[in-house]
Amino acid sequence: MGTGQILFNAFALLTVVSAAGVVLNRNAVNAALCLLLSLVGVSGLFVALDAYLLAFLLLLVYAGAVVALFLFIIMLLDARGDSRPVLHRLPLAARVIATGLVLGGVASFLVRGRLPEGRAATTAVGAALKPYAHQLFTTYLLPVQVLGFLLLIAMIGVIVLSRRPDGPEDAA
Amino acid sequence: MTLEALRLAAADNLWGAIMPELMLGCIALLLLGLEIVLPRRLHGVIPDVAAAGLLGTLLGLALNWSSVAVGRETFNGLLFHGTSGQLMRVFFVLSALFVCLLARVTLPRHTAPRVEFHHILLVVTAAMMLLAQSNHFVMLFVALEAATIGLYLLVGYFRGSTASLEAGLKFVVMGALSSGLLLFGIVLLYGVAGNPALPGHTTQALHFAELSRFLAANPDNFVASLGVVLVLAGVAFKIGAFPFQIWVPDVYQGAPTPVTAFLAVASKGAGFAVLMALCGQGGAFAAYGWLTTPVLTAIAAATLLFGNIAALTQHNVKRLIGLSGVSHAGFLLLGVIASAQTPMAAGAVYFYLFAYLAASFAVFGVMAHVAGQDDSEQELDHYHGLAKENPLLGAVLAIGLGSLAGIPPLAGFMGKLFILVSAFQAGARALLAVAALGVVISIYYYFGWIKAAFFETWTPPSGEGAGPARPERSPVTPVAAFVLGALALASIAIGFYPGPLGELLTLR
Repeated sequence: MGTGQILFNAFALLTVVSAAGVVLNRNAVNAALCLLLSLVGVSGLFVALDAYLLAFLLLLVYAGAVVALFLFIIMLLDARGDSRPVLHRLPLAARVIATGLVLGGVASFLVRGRLPEGRAATTAVGAALKPYAHQLFTTYLLPVQVLGFLLLIAMIGVIVLSRRPDGPEDAA
Repeated sequence: MTLEALRLAAADNLWGAIMPELMLGCIALLLLGLEIVLPRRLHGVIPDVAAAGLLGTLLGLALNWSSVAVGRETFNGLLFHGTSGQLMRVFFVLSALFVCLLARVTLPRHTAPRVEFHHILLVVTAAMMLLAQSNHFVMLFVALEAATIGLYLLVGYFRGSTASLEAGLKFVVMGALSSGLLLFGIVLLYGVAGNPALPGHTTQALHFAELSRFLAANPDNFVASLGVVLVLAGVAFKIGAFPFQIWVPDVYQGAPTPVTAFLAVASKGAGFAVLMALCGQGGAFAAYGWLTTPVLTAIAAATLLFGNIAALTQHNVKRLIGLSGVSHAGFLLLGVIASAQTPMAAGAVYFYLFAYLAASFAVFGVMAHVAGQDDSEQELDHYHGLAKENPLLGAVLAIGLGSLAGIPPLAGFMGKLFILVSAFQAGARALLAVAALGVVISIYYYFGWIKAAFFETWTPPSGEGAGPARPERSPVTPVAAFVLGALALASIAIGFYPGPLGELLTLR
């Protein structure tokens, strides 16, 4: 087992275990911190794939900005870990079927999803900053513009929805 | 990167080809500008500007029907402009126009801001138009998200209403799940098609034609088939097909009536445009017909049965129309399945969509007028005596519901007939029987609604606490009367004389 394999296993384990922590943790702050760890694991996997730009962006944008925002909101709402209601217990049959489906899916993927041995995968075009930026301004110019509109309506929607319901009526 | 290389790459960005979408985007920005510039008392004209802009776009589309871009790829393969894309553009602009009309009836009863509503509506319409013409998974996903995020906002738009907020939250959660499934499927397809160890691998795996070539070279790849199934599941969420229909009744009931209409017609049309691009003849997944046909067949049969049987017991008309919309999605799926083998089926699907548009907006127009202050509580009882008190609304409702039920000679009947004939040609006999059964069941609940409007008389509840009174109906303005009458006439006229729409059936 080479160094790359050991690193891959370590980061994969970190990602999966902390992702489970996000779901299982009853305290919202701890769940958000688990999400942070999971994102660090994923960015480690990207580094192993030579996709340094993606790894960097993931740390910078998601771990740095988005999770920090989550934490702010959790603190703002002052949600306590014990305030979440206990989920209803599922019937035994549903649990057995769900577990069977998940295990069957994973098993079939392990058995049949093997990729053929051979040359190592090539690095994607957008893995480095310069070609990535170049593509954004040429090939993918239209989706970038559409995303601009997406962000605009998201912003307007948040303003509309967060305005006081009994606030001043729009001119009717 | 030299300047020359950049120029070459930008040469394919043919902005003229997406003029209608650009127009809608500019008008959407104009609305926001007008809200700042105009004095408050003139703000009432801004929704009219939106409607006028949509009309202008429709006119522009009609005048430039066979523009230079039709039949070619633009934006480096991100978009493909075909006849079906042109049709879906008209479909979405028409839907948005009717939603504007419904909003004139519904929104003044609430304190929700109106300018932003129309702004979001126009942006969502433009995104759907791009979605229907996308030829690349990046474009598809970005346009789909732009449309879906706009719809999240519109569904929860009546902030004062608990039902609307609940619907918005449920729609966000289910929409995020479906986007996740779709994205996971796309990533699997991209990964496996870019694997250098496989025959026919490509670096442009997200382009539909390239992907189709790769899938044809690897007709039995497990990871690719998993990706195909996940993409189909993500799209099935958007069209509300079984087993991904659980969000439909609550979201349709809670959303403001114009938004329910937009969800029922335009959003479903967008989902089917994507399905036709993926699973239709020459679509991206054409080589995986051995997988998509059985999966879609099972989904279609379950959708037809579930939608119709669940709609039987509904008393809330918004839930009823939502669940009946599920069964219409099943019917359209039948057309998609047939379109892999019969060229006529693609035309039948588009014909059905237009017939569904005319009939649905006729019914939603009546619903918007009958609904009271509480937009989510629209019961069948509120329709008692409608035909006697307002014959126009009664007649429009009867024609719209009759067309949805598929009563000859209305447009809905012709749509169902074309789909059934093409399914027969494609040899989907078992599914044909299920569809016929679904039609029979659907007649029961559609006629229950007509019966409530025509044969029951309204008796006000007597005594203390005898239940809420019937909500006040909105007066029908001349414009609304004209449009509703035109929709009803269109349902009749398309049924008798399919005309140019009928020519779709001979299209490839």
